Amino acid sequence: MSEKPVKVIKLNVINEPKDSYTGGKSSLCPGCGHDQVSSVIVNAAWENGVEPHRIAKMSGIGCSSKTPAYYLGQSHGFNTVHGRMPSVTTGANVVNKDLTYLGVSGDGDSASIGIGQLIHAIRRNVNMVYIIENNGVYGLTKGQYSATADIGSKKKKGTTNETQPIDLCALAVNLGCSFVARSFSGSKKQLTAIIRAAISHKGFALIDVISPCVTFNNNDESLRSYGYVKDNQAELHSVGYIPHFSPLEQVEVPAGSYRDITLHDGSTMRLETISAEHDISDPVAALAALHKADTEKKHVMGLLYFDGDKPALDDDLDLHDTPIVEMGEDLLRPSVAQLDDVIAVLRG
Amino acid sequence: MDRVVNDFTINIATANGTGSQSANLILLQTLYDMGIPVSGKNLFPSNISGLPTWYIVRVSDRGYQAPGDKTHIQVLVNPATWDEDLAVLEPGSVVIWNTDSKMEMNRTDVVSYPVPMTKIARGLNPKLARMIANVVYVGVIAELIGIDQNVLEGSIAKQFGGKAKAIELNSEAARLGRSYCAEELTISDPYTLEAREKKEGGFFVEGNDAVALGSVFGGVQLLSWYPITPSSSLAEGVIEWLPRLRTHEGKATYAVIQAEDELAAAGMIIGAGWAGARGMTATSGPGISLMQEFIGLAYFAEIPCVFWDVNRVGPSTGLPTRTQQGDLTMLYEGSHGDTQHIVFIPGTVEECFEFGWRIFDASERYQTPVFGLSDLDLGMNRWSCHGFKYPDQPMDRGKVLLTKEQMDSIENYGRYRDVDGDGIPYRTLPGSGLDPILYRGTGHDEDGTYSEKPDVYYKLMQRLKRKIENARDDLPAPIMRDEVEEDIGIVFYGSLENSIVEIDDILEEITGKKVSTCRVRALPLHSEVQGFVERHNTVIILEINRDAQLYGIMRKEFPNHLLNKMHSVAYSDGMPPRASLYAERIMDVLKEVGF
Repeated sequence: MSEKPVKVIKLNVINEPKDSYTGGKSSLCPGCGHDQVSSVIVNAAWENGVEPHRIAKMSGIGCSSKTPAYYLGQSHGFNTVHGRMPSVTTGANVVNKDLTYLGVSGDGDSASIGIGQLIHAIRRNVNMVYIIENNGVYGLTKGQYSATADIGSKKKKGTTNETQPIDLCALAVNLGCSFVARSFSGSKKQLTAIIRAAISHKGFALIDVISPCVTFNNNDESLRSYGYVKDNQAELHSVGYIPHFSPLEQVEVPAGSYRDITLHDGSTMRLETISAEHDISDPVAALAALHKADTEKKHVMGLLYFDGDKPALDDDLDLHDTPIVEMGEDLLRPSVAQLDDVIAVLRG
Repeated sequence: MDRVVNDFTINIATANGTGSQSANLILLQTLYDMGIPVSGKNLFPSNISGLPTWYIVRVSDRGYQAPGDKTHIQVLVNPATWDEDLAVLEPGSVVIWNTDSKMEMNRTDVVSYPVPMTKIARGLNPKLARMIANVVYVGVIAELIGIDQNVLEGSIAKQFGGKAKAIELNSEAARLGRSYCAEELTISDPYTLEAREKKEGGFFVEGNDAVALGSVFGGVQLLSWYPITPSSSLAEGVIEWLPRLRTHEGKATYAVIQAEDELAAAGMIIGAGWAGARGMTATSGPGISLMQEFIGLAYFAEIPCVFWDVNRVGPSTGLPTRTQQGDLTMLYEGSHGDTQHIVFIPGTVEECFEFGWRIFDASERYQTPVFGLSDLDLGMNRWSCHGFKYPDQPMDRGKVLLTKEQMDSIENYGRYRDVDGDGIPYRTLPGSGLDPILYRGTGHDEDGTYSEKPDVYYKLMQRLKRKIENARDDLPAPIMRDEVEEDIGIVFYGSLENSIVEIDDILEEITGKKVSTCRVRALPLHSEVQGFVERHNTVIILEINRDAQLYGIMRKEFPNHLLNKMHSVAYSDGMPPRASLYAERIMDVLKEVGF
């Protein structure tokens, strides 16, 4: 009698299997970059050991914004309206500051209709992860250019784009965003490390992920096709993540030079130098790197800018430690005596 | 000459940004402190400094609060409107005018009281002469109509709250105005005051501040707003009161965010509602226009959130500093597709406070956006208030499942399943670990899963309709005053409350009949409103707009046999409603139907 093979279920630091972090079946086109990002989100959340029900997944409207249905099935979520996810997340964040807010948006959602809300969420330093699945085209409406389409790039149908694109990373750096990174849906390892670090960061973490649209913008003339992006990456450094629950001294020290960044929850982001060290605390260096890659028609990859000391919105508001949403009537409704005092003031 | 006691209107024409508002409020407070029924209307421009402003003070023993039909005492300070203001006065009116304005007094049929206001003020303090000149005219008026100097100085002290120098300077200016009047002017007008017994415990408050306080006692957890006249002072009221009333261990039990626009303000309060907190915003019509998409999301995804609309004159930017009831339909049926919203409509400052807290209960109970409709007149003018009643019931947080036991007690839970048959489903909150869903503005089934199925959509829309319909008789009932005749009835709402008594009196004088009234205080309409229409022969629906918005709602919702007896009187010119003007229009309709 042969024994049945034992299926070993791997658990994370809070003893949850990865299944606790997966979601429904995707209805996006087979091969869509967004599905790769979704699977990275599942991995990152699982590996970080975040309790699934303590995550809030937020989105706007578009292909990317549909994806919260495909990951983190045990988390509450809100698929809001086009370009307005930042405000909804801001409101939720200030009344329940203890949840992990994971926003997913697209280039139409973030660079056009919602650019104002994105800018103001950055300005307020809302404590959230903000992932842009950026492919340069509108998918659900069948392939119009978005505001991030590169000059000289041509999508499957139509003419070459000649309009100046909006670089969301450059925008974020200029606004003093506390965490700005660019990655590629095809670079699973790098993207996982960046998303894990973003979850550990307190403040607004913007991750611009080039995530090719296989249906409308994956042809040879496109600067956002899988092939082009794969061959034209300008990597700033290689990115590693060491969680706070896995002590640093047990991690192998890289041979070359590297820099460790301590994140809000005690975890570490390790940036290993590839050629010259990129100074993540220098916004001018970040803009220079973006500009250089731009002139070379390349895509910068890595952590462009970081400021771990900037207070987040919920710090600025001088909130009580107990999240506002957990407070009862005893704290929310002033007393009869207080109303008497108010009326005395009004009587003058 | 017969004396006219406690029954006249003072109109003060100045320019904004000159300090006249302080002087006018001092006058108003003084009259109030003498126990005289008085109301003040500030007609101000959308401007920071230099444009015409009028302040109308109505003194009325009968308690009339509408601006009077005509001016009895005109104060002229502003050269820009001098001729215009002078031209409309009836013969015999009193004109107190600033001889330093370099303007002519070209009417000989009025009672003219020339006063060198600026010169008097300059003698007191050359630098502040322009501002103090305003208090000089207050002093002149005080002497003229018989205001006690002590009471006047009391309200000057109130206005300048503890600033000794300002209090002394302004008191002296008032005294100088008084003595100029006594020594230099020959008095030949009939207007005079008699002090009345002041009601114990009363005070003056603006509707916006009353809503603000009500919100604080309603447990507001997030205020997100974008500045817009005439609602800014509502939000600023909340911001002022919160730190005094809502801290715990020195920390905030609330959050306030000044949003980048009204869309974001709406988004934030929806985010707060989604998370399980009480979020509110304060805006006016243009803001509500911008929020439309989000309003639909909150309705369809069933997210509690509270919007206060302090109505100004539309459409578009309209008359930003004038009053109207032009947003009713937009609130009731806001956003694209089929929607229907609960609207609270206060008519007094006491109700502003009460609805300020009650509105959160309705929003959480029905899991839907709820609107408060105030207006510039009610919101930004000071009204006599008899006090605020402490909430008489605990906060109603609605059907929220907080524990696993609660969850298990529900058979076949689904976020949008009508378990109790009242159209209101149960909900769980993010972070609770209980039955999570991805909220969406797209079509969804009873479990919240995306669906385009015809029967799923149809049933969902029917349930939403039923949910709001069920709220009718749970919302503030109309305030009715039935006359035995049950012949003519007037249905009205909001700040028209402050003109209705006078309108009634005028109608009774003309028709010889007493008129019943029914003040609507919420939408969807309470069943008693229909009852009122049923038992009256002729019903006038009175409102401050062009398109007869409440009338339209009643025609749409009431049975056919009632339609012929309902008649609209809708009029809006930006001004607070003058009783005679509305009464005249009601008479036109009554004549048409055979009275």
